[in-house]
Parts: sequence; structure tokens; C-alpha cells
Amino acid sequence: MAGTLRRALVIVMAGAALGLAANAISPRRIPLLTPPKAPPQASDTVALEEAKAMWGSGTAFFLDARATADYQAGHIAGALSLPIEEFDAHYPPIQPMLTPDLRIVVYCDGQECDLSHRLMDRLRELGYHNVRVLTNGWTSWHTAGLLTHAGGQP
Amino acid sequence: MKIVNLILRLIIGGVFIVSAIVKIGNVQVSHAHGIQFSRVPDLTQFAQDVANYHVPPRALNNLVAITLPWIELLAGGLLVLGIWKRASAVVIAALMVVFLAAIGSALVHGYDIRCGCFGTVDARKVGVTALAEDFVLLAMAAWLAWRLEDSRERTTEANE
Repeated sequence: MAGTLRRALVIVMAGAALGLAANAISPRRIPLLTPPKAPPQASDTVALEEAKAMWGSGTAFFLDARATADYQAGHIAGALSLPIEEFDAHYPPIQPMLTPDLRIVVYCDGQECDLSHRLMDRLRELGYHNVRVLTNGWTSWHTAGLLTHAGGQP
Repeated sequence: MKIVNLILRLIIGGVFIVSAIVKIGNVQVSHAHGIQFSRVPDLTQFAQDVANYHVPPRALNNLVAITLPWIELLAGGLLVLGIWKRASAVVIAALMVVFLAAIGSALVHGYDIRCGCFGTVDARKVGVTALAEDFVLLAMAAWLAWRLEDSRERTTEANE
């Protein structure tokens, strides 16, 4: 049994070494340790009240970072679907509607949801500097009784 | 019994090899394009899936995403080839325990997250199905870890 455990350990170590080596030579290597999350800044998020005001006056563009199926099941009225996990496929048709200075509100669902922050980061990398996250967007929007739609991309 | 063990080895080893390859190769499946290997493997997605579980300390999520698929590939491969098969079964059983704990924790916390079980290929959310599958795999791996003998181990232990 001791021999088996020793060999099991060797398998784990060898596998880990292979993984580290593969990552080291990969052109898209990721850092060994996950970089710490930047502390959320006030300028990164938008409060529901403010989002509502911008939505009402039509001064912001709403993007839904969740998966397509979630979007179709229900989304903030007027929001377009841009699932971060399939960003490359969904971005091209939306790109012509965006300008660098456009005010953009991105959202997903749940306090812990990371999708909207990733979408914000991605959009900022592309030069859209006026992007903010509506935290817990979908839940807070529809529990506030604000207008929602269901169905696919308009 | 030999044939049962062989079948179990092929099943579990196969599952582990496939699950490793789809993670390493960042395989995407879409209705429009069928199965696609991305030209440049990208672990970002899988690292995110790992992070969603909130099980490893945050800093270690990348390390898990980098090493885990290769440990799966090696253990699954050895099990299929019949090299160090008992040790491989032990590794796989131990991984299944870890996966079960992670999925259980996600369910208890009510996280609505992607399983990540087969990389990005299956967009399944964590749920009781994944839990049940993993229990079956654990049972099979534990059986093998108990029944199999690595040939060299038998001789050395006989000599001791």
C-alpha cells in the first residue's frame, strides 16, 4: 500500500509538472498565482437608482453579460445580449452601435456574479472607458418592478 | 473479475482522458461549428470555472487550472494502459472525492455556476446530476483501487 501511495504521489507530481511545463510554453500562459482582485472602485459600479435614471432618459447602453439562454429568459428592457463567455462571437454585430464615449451599463445576476466585471474589463481594454457594472443587475432590476423583456436579441 | 476490472479501467480512464483533453485543448462545441479545438489553448476559462467554486484560496485557482487537467490525463492514461493502474485508481478516487466536495459545497451555497467538469464543452450548471455522476465514478475508482494490484508491488511485497 505504501508503494501504491508513493506511486500515486509520483503521478500527481508528474502531472503537475507537465501542466506547469505546458503552461510555461503556451503563448497564452496564465500567471501561476491568480492576481488579487483589484478592490472595487466606486467608479466601477452604478447604483440602481442611477441606472434607472439613465435607462429612463436613454443616456446609457445596457449590455447583458450572462449566457444567451439567461438573456432570452428575461432581461432589462432594451438591453442587448453580449455574453462574456462567447464574447468574440457576439461582439461584432454590437460593435457598430458602440462609441468610445458611450455610457455603458453591464450587468449579470447575483452579488457574486463575475460576468459583468469581466465584460467591463474586456470593453475597457477595447477603449470604451465609460463602462460600469450594475451589481446584481437582473435580480435588483426585476424585483424593483422595472421594465423587462424576454426573448432573443431585438 | 478480470474483465470487469478491465471494463472499469477503460471507462474511468476514458472519462478522465476526455475531460482532460477538452480542458487542455479548450475545446468548444457549438451548434453552428461543431466540435472545435482552439488553435491556442487558453486556460483562462477553466481557471474562472475553478474560481467560481470558491473552494481553493483565490490565489491558487490558476495553479489548480494549470495542473489539474494534466494530472487527470496522466492518471487516466496510465489506468487505460495498465501501468501503475492501482496507483492511478487511487489518484482518480482521491480526485473524485475532491470534485464531490467542491460540487457539494457549490450546491450547499446555492452557487449557480458552470460545472466545468468537462471544461467548456459542457455548459452544464453544477447540480445533482453532476453529483450523481461523480458518485458513480468514485465508486468505480474506489473498487479498482481496492481490487487492482500493481505487478511490481505484489512481487516486492511478497519478498519483504
